Amino acid sequence: MTLDELNKQLAQIELQVACGVRELNLIDAVRSFESSVLGKQGLIGLLLKNIRDYPADERGQVGQIINRAKAKAKAIIDARLSEIEREAVAKESQGASDVDPTLPGDVESLGSLHPVTMVQLEIERIFERFGFTVETGPEMESEYNNFDALNIPADHPARDMQDTFWLNNNQVLRTHTSPVQHRAMKKFGAPLRIIAPGRCFRYETLDASHENTFHQVEGLVIDDEISIPNLIAMSKALLQEVMQRDVKLRVRPGFFPFVEPGLEIDMNCQICGGSGCATCKQSGWVEILPAGMVHPNVLQAGGIDPDRYSGFAFGLGLTRLAMMKYGIRDIRVLNSGDLRPIVCAQRLGGPILVNHTT
Amino acid sequence: MLISLQWIRDFVNLPTDLDPRDLAERVTVSTAEVEGVTPIHIDAQGLIAAKVISATEVPKKRNLKLVELEIGGDNTVRTATAAPVLHVGSNVVFAPVGASVATTGVIKATTIAGAPSEGMILPGEALGIPLAMQEAVFLGDEFQPGQALPAKLFEDWVIEIDNKSITHRPDLWGHYGMAREIAAIFGLPLSSYPITPEAELSSSNLPDVAITIADAHACRRFTALRLEGVPTIPAPLWMQLRIGRIGMRPISGLVDLTNYVMADLGQPMHAFDADHVPDIEVNWAYEGETLQTLDGMERTLTTESLVVQSQGKSLSLAGVMGGLNTEVVDSTDSLLLESANWDPIVIRRTAHRLSLRTDAAARFEKSLDPANTTQSIQRFHLLAKAMYPEMKITGRLSDNYPGKPEPVVVAVNPQHVKRTLGRSCNLEEAINLLSPLGFSIEQNGDAWYVNVPSFRATGDVSIEADVIEEIIRRVGFDAVEPSMPRVSMRDIKMNPMHELEMRSLEFFCLAERFHEVNSYIWYATDWLKQLGMEAGDCIELRNPAAEGLHQLRRLMMPGMLAAVQRNRFHFSSFNLMDLGSVFEPHPQGDQEHRHLALVSARRGKKEENACLSQIKRAIGQWAWLRFGQQVTYTSASVLAECPWENPHRTATVALGDTIVGRVSVVEPGTRRAMDEHLSAWSIACAELRLDNLASLTTTTEKLGTIPDHPQIDMDFSILVPASSHYEAIAGQIAGFEHNLLKQIRYVDSYEGKSVGEGNRSLTFRTVIGSQARTLSEGDANGFQQAFETFVTKLGFAIRK
Repeated sequence: MTLDELNKQLAQIELQVACGVRELNLIDAVRSFESSVLGKQGLIGLLLKNIRDYPADERGQVGQIINRAKAKAKAIIDARLSEIEREAVAKESQGASDVDPTLPGDVESLGSLHPVTMVQLEIERIFERFGFTVETGPEMESEYNNFDALNIPADHPARDMQDTFWLNNNQVLRTHTSPVQHRAMKKFGAPLRIIAPGRCFRYETLDASHENTFHQVEGLVIDDEISIPNLIAMSKALLQEVMQRDVKLRVRPGFFPFVEPGLEIDMNCQICGGSGCATCKQSGWVEILPAGMVHPNVLQAGGIDPDRYSGFAFGLGLTRLAMMKYGIRDIRVLNSGDLRPIVCAQRLGGPILVNHTT
Repeated sequence: MLISLQWIRDFVNLPTDLDPRDLAERVTVSTAEVEGVTPIHIDAQGLIAAKVISATEVPKKRNLKLVELEIGGDNTVRTATAAPVLHVGSNVVFAPVGASVATTGVIKATTIAGAPSEGMILPGEALGIPLAMQEAVFLGDEFQPGQALPAKLFEDWVIEIDNKSITHRPDLWGHYGMAREIAAIFGLPLSSYPITPEAELSSSNLPDVAITIADAHACRRFTALRLEGVPTIPAPLWMQLRIGRIGMRPISGLVDLTNYVMADLGQPMHAFDADHVPDIEVNWAYEGETLQTLDGMERTLTTESLVVQSQGKSLSLAGVMGGLNTEVVDSTDSLLLESANWDPIVIRRTAHRLSLRTDAAARFEKSLDPANTTQSIQRFHLLAKAMYPEMKITGRLSDNYPGKPEPVVVAVNPQHVKRTLGRSCNLEEAINLLSPLGFSIEQNGDAWYVNVPSFRATGDVSIEADVIEEIIRRVGFDAVEPSMPRVSMRDIKMNPMHELEMRSLEFFCLAERFHEVNSYIWYATDWLKQLGMEAGDCIELRNPAAEGLHQLRRLMMPGMLAAVQRNRFHFSSFNLMDLGSVFEPHPQGDQEHRHLALVSARRGKKEENACLSQIKRAIGQWAWLRFGQQVTYTSASVLAECPWENPHRTATVALGDTIVGRVSVVEPGTRRAMDEHLSAWSIACAELRLDNLASLTTTTEKLGTIPDHPQIDMDFSILVPASSHYEAIAGQIAGFEHNLLKQIRYVDSYEGKSVGEGNRSLTFRTVIGSQARTLSEGDANGFQQAFETFVTKLGFAIRK
């Protein structure tokens, strides 16, 4: 075969490969086609075998021509192979069945914390940041811890059966978290920085805004030079953190037996911003934080020298805060066990398309 | 309590253009909370006095009278009125044609019940006396028929003070005390209290009123004055209008005057018809003694009721209410005026026992200033003199004062003032701040000695902190520059129990998808009955919120089951949890424990395993994460107080060796009893006691290394009777020993057609390995054979 003939034949094979491989759609078919061309018995392989038929001085050139053709054929076949692979990946990503990437995820109910617990956790986190210890006390409390140790006189109306739940063992269901002040003073002494969240009880007739079972959090700071300016600064920090915005405070005198001076700290109404609405009874303010400087008798009862130390204390209604925060209008739903008013509907199932419930 | 601004202006010369709302705000931030400010805007134009000449009932028109009135000179007018009481000769407030007040508009001539009506007898409520309603307002001789009534008498503002904010301030229960605060707030002088000088009342020419006091503790002071020449006439119009605005009903000159002084100084007084009262004895009543009080009720007294007597006869219930036998009536011309000071606790108990919370009792139980007794009588006399020109003193001001308190002087350390205020306050400033409130200060060495005025020495100001409160109140809270506290650092551990509780709540709710609910800490008897539960020995409430709510819970589960019942209408499956206190009577002192309760409920009877498994998975994960302990369940028999427990499906829950609670399937009878729809549900529940867990030594997980030589996992499924319990089988399997064995763990449990009726397949995973070498196929085969032989010997088949 002359060089010319060889070139022609190789061109012929190249054409044959290019056309042939395009017909093939399976990797295996391409591979066997490849060996029928490039293998030892393949079209090009045989040509290479016959190289000895050429004069010695032409053999180099012939080899080059054949190898070039071989490389070209291989490139065509490889191109087809990767093309087939790409098609396969493309086909697989499309999938056997239709997948809708806009469909919501699995519809599964999430769990939920009680609204009061959510608020409590938030408050605890804020105070932990300020270095407060969280302390607790029992719900069944002695009369001494609930009243006497807090400077509430023996004949105070709060001790009446109309205000306090009394037990047949002469103890009470604590009417506030304040007994924990006394317990903590006894346990740790001064200086001290605690909050005490917990459930409290008062003899109340139930209605939309009164419950006999509710949650409070008590705060107490005792140190060398604790002042009223400190109490006001701390209250402001707390309320701003809880409300997640700037708040205005109004501080006015208040009377509670366990503090002296006693303070009522009001916050500008978060519903109307202070211009007056039903929530704040048109006053622009809501009572949020009864507080004061710890009464010297309370310090003394807790074993702390009122000459040496001073302190402030405050109470915050967790239940009330939860109601404000989550827009709960009827306090009774909180202890009802009914999930509907205390669990956000979004937590209970799939995404909501239309919502006319609020 | 209601305060009249017009009244306050008697004592403080407030700027005429003062906005009462600004006043209210300043009172709120420095003294007591103002709950409301209401204008009394009657806009009276052309009102006159008019005398009733004749009054005739209109037939068949109840309450309607045709009246003829004299309106000056010989002029008369006719009108119709609904005033319930109207006598010929009465002088009343009248609006002739053309006159007007805000609520009626201009009065026009008209015809009522067929008769001409040429004006209107104004009802009390139209003049700012709400309690007078339709009643006419009667006038004394101060206004002649036809005389114009000054419009400004009717204009006022009423300020409502929150009673709760002044329970500790008896001095603020009168206008004069409130005026003192307002004067201080505005830096204005306070008028001295207008009274008749004492000398004028205590002439030695006059007889004394004999007063004996049996118990000086109960009656600290009793002051009396005998008067004569006090006929029944109406109180002056201004006085009626003032007491009317602050919520009282004008009745008669004497009653109104007593009420006026009470609202003026805060001191209740009592007037006896003096004919029946030769002398005064204050004493305890006899047990079972009866007294008819002014309200007409017969009261049975006890030896704890303090009474005012004369000649051994009880006349009034001291400090609470007068008696009917000495009531001041129209024929009364001579009276004995009482102004006393009572022990607040005695008054509160009596008022409470008899459910008789009168204005007088409400004030006396706040502990009044004993100095008020003479002052109130002097004040009464001054006002009465103007009303009764003929009045004479027939028994001089007599005073028995056995309980006279020592003046209160409080030592104050100025350093403590500085500490609380956050800035220093010198003596001069302190004097400037406190003297308008009646305090005076003397310095001695480093200390201030603060003299507390008697009206604040009623228990209100007695220690240093009380004085500091007065100082800061006067400085003003809005003048305080807030600053964060400087505090000492201490190493105080977080309360471990609280830590456990909060992290557990988060775990069960956020990781295990339970919903936290809250319930009451007392049982509801009806619900227990429905569950068929005997509560057992409970701590009880003496004053339960309602009948049947008297037992404190020993277990949380009844409440949880109630929540299940509540939610089953709205959800087809849910998991609930609660964490709270339970209570148990105990001979060594009653106990409170902290419990955690879990419930899983699903519609469908065949979900019991799924419910139980949901709870157990949660408990298992929790126990491992919190304590590094595995949970073991041991089958248990039903407790008497837990009738909901299914006897075949109840187990104790243990962490290591400590039993912490119980888990069970709720048996069908209970489900049916709860609610018939729940008969087709599955419910599982668990209740754990957390008390001992906070102190449980927690094991920290040990994390391993990658073995030098590969290990082999081999799963074996063992066929056991479906009725058998995992705890027994697992215990036996755990006894298998082999030198290559590294671990056996539980994988799952399966019941179904492929394992045959009445069978269960339990799958365990074994892990084998060697430290020294890579295992061969022979090793694996040998192990498999050994394990299968072991299981077969236990009497179980291996499922291939």
